[in-house]
Amino acid sequence: MKAVFAHLTGQNSRQGLWILPLIAGIVGFAWLAVSTDQFATPQNAKNLLAQAMPLIIVAIGQMMVVLLGGLDLSVGAVISFTTAILALDAPAAITIPAVFIAAIAIGFINGTTVTRLNVNPIIATLAMQMIIMGLTRLMRPVAGGEVPEVVKQLVSGAVFGVPFTVFWGLLVCLLAWKMLYGSRFGLHIFAIGGGIASGQSDAAHTFGIADKRTTLLAYIGCSCFAALAGIFLAGRIVSGDPNIGPPFTLDSVTAVAIGGTQLSGGVGSLHGTIIGALVLALLSNGMNLANVSAFVQTAIKGAVLLAVVAFQSRKKIGL
Amino acid sequence: MNIKIALSATLLFGTALSTPTFAEDVTLMEGIEPRTENNSVVEAGVYQSDAPWTIGMSHFGVNANTWTVQMAHESTAAAAADDRVENFILLDANIDQAKQVADIEDLIAQNVDLIIVTPLTPTSADAGIEAAVEAGIPVIVHTGLTETDAFTLEIQGGAQNFGRVMGEFLVDELGGKGDIWVLRGLPGHPEDINRYEGLLEAIEGTEINIVAEDVGAWQYDNGKKVCETFFLSNPSVDGIWSSGADMTRACVDVFKEFGAEIPPISGEGNNGFFGQWIEDGFASISAEYGPEQGAAGVRAAIALLEGQEMYKHYAYEPAGWDLDRVQDVYRSDLSANVWFPTSLSEERLQELYGN
Repeated sequence: MKAVFAHLTGQNSRQGLWILPLIAGIVGFAWLAVSTDQFATPQNAKNLLAQAMPLIIVAIGQMMVVLLGGLDLSVGAVISFTTAILALDAPAAITIPAVFIAAIAIGFINGTTVTRLNVNPIIATLAMQMIIMGLTRLMRPVAGGEVPEVVKQLVSGAVFGVPFTVFWGLLVCLLAWKMLYGSRFGLHIFAIGGGIASGQSDAAHTFGIADKRTTLLAYIGCSCFAALAGIFLAGRIVSGDPNIGPPFTLDSVTAVAIGGTQLSGGVGSLHGTIIGALVLALLSNGMNLANVSAFVQTAIKGAVLLAVVAFQSRKKIGL
Repeated sequence: MNIKIALSATLLFGTALSTPTFAEDVTLMEGIEPRTENNSVVEAGVYQSDAPWTIGMSHFGVNANTWTVQMAHESTAAAAADDRVENFILLDANIDQAKQVADIEDLIAQNVDLIIVTPLTPTSADAGIEAAVEAGIPVIVHTGLTETDAFTLEIQGGAQNFGRVMGEFLVDELGGKGDIWVLRGLPGHPEDINRYEGLLEAIEGTEINIVAEDVGAWQYDNGKKVCETFFLSNPSVDGIWSSGADMTRACVDVFKEFGAEIPPISGEGNNGFFGQWIEDGFASISAEYGPEQGAAGVRAAIALLEGQEMYKHYAYEPAGWDLDRVQDVYRSDLSANVWFPTSLSEERLQELYGN
């Protein structure tokens, strides 16, 4: 029994707690399918996937940094900045590369500040968040503008009845899987994070791993995933908005935590993060369909986060 | 012959009884009138639906401040007051544009009879409104602008008029010359943008200068912080244009705490501000923007579902309130958090806001 509990709560596992949120998600899914007429419909499945997708994308990037014991509070600002760039009334051939150039630059500065200047990741990325939000409001003080048609089509289109959102999900998961589990970069992330979590921050470096370079690349990757989430959101709202990103900062950390990634670093998984983001989206969608009062929805979200995270010890989760 | 006359009379009488109400006859709320220019009519019976009805509402942020909370209460109370509204689904976007898009999708998925939207930004609800209308669901928009005009009916609170009323008050009070502070609401929110536009319109061509401007998010604590910063930076100011909500009360408190004379300041129909205004007697005006708009949205929804003829555009551009009117409305037995005008019942007012 103790062993089962330890497995469910992700104790002694490098992948962290992910089975429990998966079970919670399945139970919630089944309950909603039985209790509401509209939940188990193709239309709602499409809605749910589109609602979860930006959070899945940004949470995957956030997880890479969290695995290294870091945190990126600038992801929300990168999302807003991305939508503002895309709504500049310029061709997609210019704005989309510009979005990624900006994301790489932001990630590079974040990574350099953390690794070379030894600034605490929370402070470094919070400062960066303020800088980007300022620039975004300069570019687009008010929501509006038009994003290129191709971006809109890439998000809301479908091929043979299959929404493009499905392909977004497959592409992002494949990319993240390759980065984390199919490359040296991923191995190094877990090695560096494991060392940091056990109090030996230079352990990986001692074994010849380029820890600073890996950390720098993780921050760049995180910003690029946030930019990708921004492109998806711009396609959904068909405009630029300086205020659309910030809620994703906390939500991405929440999704990562729910998915079992420990904020102290070294422990976590891609599937856990995807489950975490899906559970959050399911919670929101499910409460809407179950007619849960708007006055209590936020409280329920908080309670679910507390319940899931409470299964991990404070020391292990890194808070 | 007699039979023919009787039949004709019956037909005429019957026609008179069954003729739908004309758009002019529908009162949504005192102060809300059909827009006089570029308006169109929603034909009678187009959205008629047999009761019971399910009405959905996508609110941009129920808990953004005390006004938005009350607007949500006004909406739910108006829906509860009509037995034909079987289900009123209120969804809170929580100041999150992506969530508002998702909320509208969820309401469409529930196949509600009508959707009321209070948009967070000028574009946050556009795609959802278009999708809902495409799915055959009528959409009512209020408390915020949209870029799309695909909605079925809108009630626009005349934010520009609101800001202009406040601005003109300052122009009069200062004799067209002086330095003012500007306290703005939520960045990017259409209401804030248009209120500010109204101010700029009012002071155009005068010698009134904006010497300090910042965002107080319509909240007491943020408004107080902004005012404290302005005061400590340079307390010499001739007037204050506050975009309303809880910020005016906060700014007046700052001047009282510093023992300084309160300059002319604009405000909004909040009970706490009214009490403060009556007690301290400073120069002010209360621009009207009542949370009762929430109830007006539901009344418009019911009228559409009843099949009544309605206008597409309604404007809410009342004059400002002076101290005499404020003294008539002020309720010392209610908390500072209640806003006027309201259509909440006395019982509900006491339940929610009773001291």
